[in-house]
Amino acid sequence: MCNWCTKHGAGKKWYMNARNYSNELANEMRAKEYLTEQWTNFEQVYIRKIMGISSVDLGYKLKLPIIGKVLRWQAERMIHSEAMKRNPKRADGHFGQVIPLEEAKIILGNLAAEPIIENYCMCRWMQRGVKERCCINFGVLSTVIEKLPRFIPENNTARISRDEAMKRIEQHNRKGYVASVWFQPVPYINAICSCENPECGGMRLRSDFGLHTVYKAEYVMQVADEECDGCALCVAKCQYGAIRYIPSMRRVIIDPKKCWGCGVCRHMCRHEALKLVPREEVAVVRGMY
Amino acid sequence: MEKIRIEIDYTKCGESGKVDPRDCCKCLRACDPAVFIMHETLGVEQDPIDPQLWRITPVWNSLCTKCMKCVEVCPEKAIRVWW
Repeated sequence: MCNWCTKHGAGKKWYMNARNYSNELANEMRAKEYLTEQWTNFEQVYIRKIMGISSVDLGYKLKLPIIGKVLRWQAERMIHSEAMKRNPKRADGHFGQVIPLEEAKIILGNLAAEPIIENYCMCRWMQRGVKERCCINFGVLSTVIEKLPRFIPENNTARISRDEAMKRIEQHNRKGYVASVWFQPVPYINAICSCENPECGGMRLRSDFGLHTVYKAEYVMQVADEECDGCALCVAKCQYGAIRYIPSMRRVIIDPKKCWGCGVCRHMCRHEALKLVPREEVAVVRGMY
Repeated sequence: MEKIRIEIDYTKCGESGKVDPRDCCKCLRACDPAVFIMHETLGVEQDPIDPQLWRITPVWNSLCTKCMKCVEVCPEKAIRVWW
């Protein structure tokens, strides 16, 4: 992901750098204090006024002349803030990227710091009033969330093993949820979410307002025309409306500009016609994360 | 630039204590573009259980499709939408 990989990837992708998951880094950044403050106040993030402006009717505010431009600049600066004095209540420095299932499994199997927990997704709770247990957190964040009963399933079995975590992320992914990995705050990584659009707070801000709270994956999906039998089952799985069925051709087409590279559509394909290719190899979306 | 206004009467939902938004959630689920956010009121620092501390606020008004499903579905007739 261009500058985040350069800054925090140690020559790899940012989320493949083991240091970003370490307890040492968390201590160094005083992540525990930040995360406690952030998660205690999580649902208030859009309501809270920041320099006199809250996210209420953000769409209107962003379209205002001059004010809208300043607001967008300020919001992007907050989202990607690396300053030591970050405001946890407005989630400064909290952003992520979509990843395919294979990479989510590598992270949960090897890189994620213990303990690993699976708690209620707070985005779906805020947006839909649904408590679904599909948010996988690890490291210092686990110990913070465990103390907040509203995020913990009632039988209090939030902690899961690495193997369980890998199994769960696969289940979510097959269900149609998009895996995403999060800085919280940058460069400390402590969460893999299973998101949907527009319930996910990050995806909402990105897809509806163009703010870079979530980056698209390092890949895009491509369809092998000769393999596709035109069943169109994949169309229903796409959270981003990137796949269309073309009746006259009896196959699907994918718009690479709309594709986020999550790989979820592959679960529906019986012929392995859908393949992820690195975004950098596709001219039209190169560098467009 | 059109401004869509959505108003919730909090004497009917939330703080009045008549309806706990966390039990109802009908508007949250009826709204296709998910315009509403359910949250605890500002200033609450511990894990809140008191229903009077929860309310629903329309946040993403610009995405409203004016379908009026929220107005119809609200059991307390607490929502008003106009533009």
